[in-house]
Amino acid sequence: MFASKRLSKELLKLQDKLPPGITLVKADNFEEWQMDIRVMDDNPLYKDEVYRLKFSFSQSYPIEAPEVTFLRTPTTPIPWHPHVYSNGIICLDLLDRQGWSPVHNVESICVSLQSMLTSNTKKERPPGDENFVRYNTQRPRDISFVFHDNQV
Amino acid sequence: MKVTILEWNAVAAWRWDMPDDDVCGICRNPYDSTCSKCKFPGDECPLLLGECNHSFHMHCIYSWLRQEQSQEKCPMCRQPFRSVSQTATGTNNQQNAAQGNNTTAANTPANGTQNGTA
Repeated sequence: MFASKRLSKELLKLQDKLPPGITLVKADNFEEWQMDIRVMDDNPLYKDEVYRLKFSFSQSYPIEAPEVTFLRTPTTPIPWHPHVYSNGIICLDLLDRQGWSPVHNVESICVSLQSMLTSNTKKERPPGDENFVRYNTQRPRDISFVFHDNQV
Repeated sequence: MKVTILEWNAVAAWRWDMPDDDVCGICRNPYDSTCSKCKFPGDECPLLLGECNHSFHMHCIYSWLRQEQSQEKCPMCRQPFRSVSQTATGTNNQQNAAQGNNTTAANTPANGTQNGTA
């Protein structure tokens, strides 16, 4: 109830106007949406690529943060980034319990991720990516990330 | 011709003293509307103004502050959220009856439409 009212407002706005490089792919219900993002400058790491984001909302959105991950599809890879695991899980404070605020929304998350990518110059995965991807069984919202890197 | 007024009914409307186009940052509903859980705007679903000057529907900000993760901070500026008063003060179009903490006759059109004619 809480979530669906707020999400229907967001959807109306997303269908009307979106910032450059962000497109709405799928929003058939109020549980899961998909968005595509592109990086708008010439960063060679991300040039000419499109990335798909999967948003999962709980009933308590926006009091609770949505779960946001990159989704690999035949046309959309997982972007290189020292905070993005190769299974699409993103380590970003604003998506975590500690950093989330209910004034954020789908659009502002997309913009934050665009800027997280565009400011990056390292073609790297987070340390321990291989093990994390192989053994992690937790949902992103239940992982306790330690935010140590204020650079990116 | 002489007209004798036997009875007259005064109708007053009031609204929150907020900019017209502003919405609550949490539910994104206009301040003059309700939070996502309420049906009736006005005293039933009041606003809360923080010392940081950010305001929200009281129900919205409470559901946020109840979360441990909020650390009792304002969702906008992350300063500790302290309300200025119990409720924001409403402005009254007809008389200065509505002080925000008291239900007065002027508050009666709280039945869904702010400009309801009783």
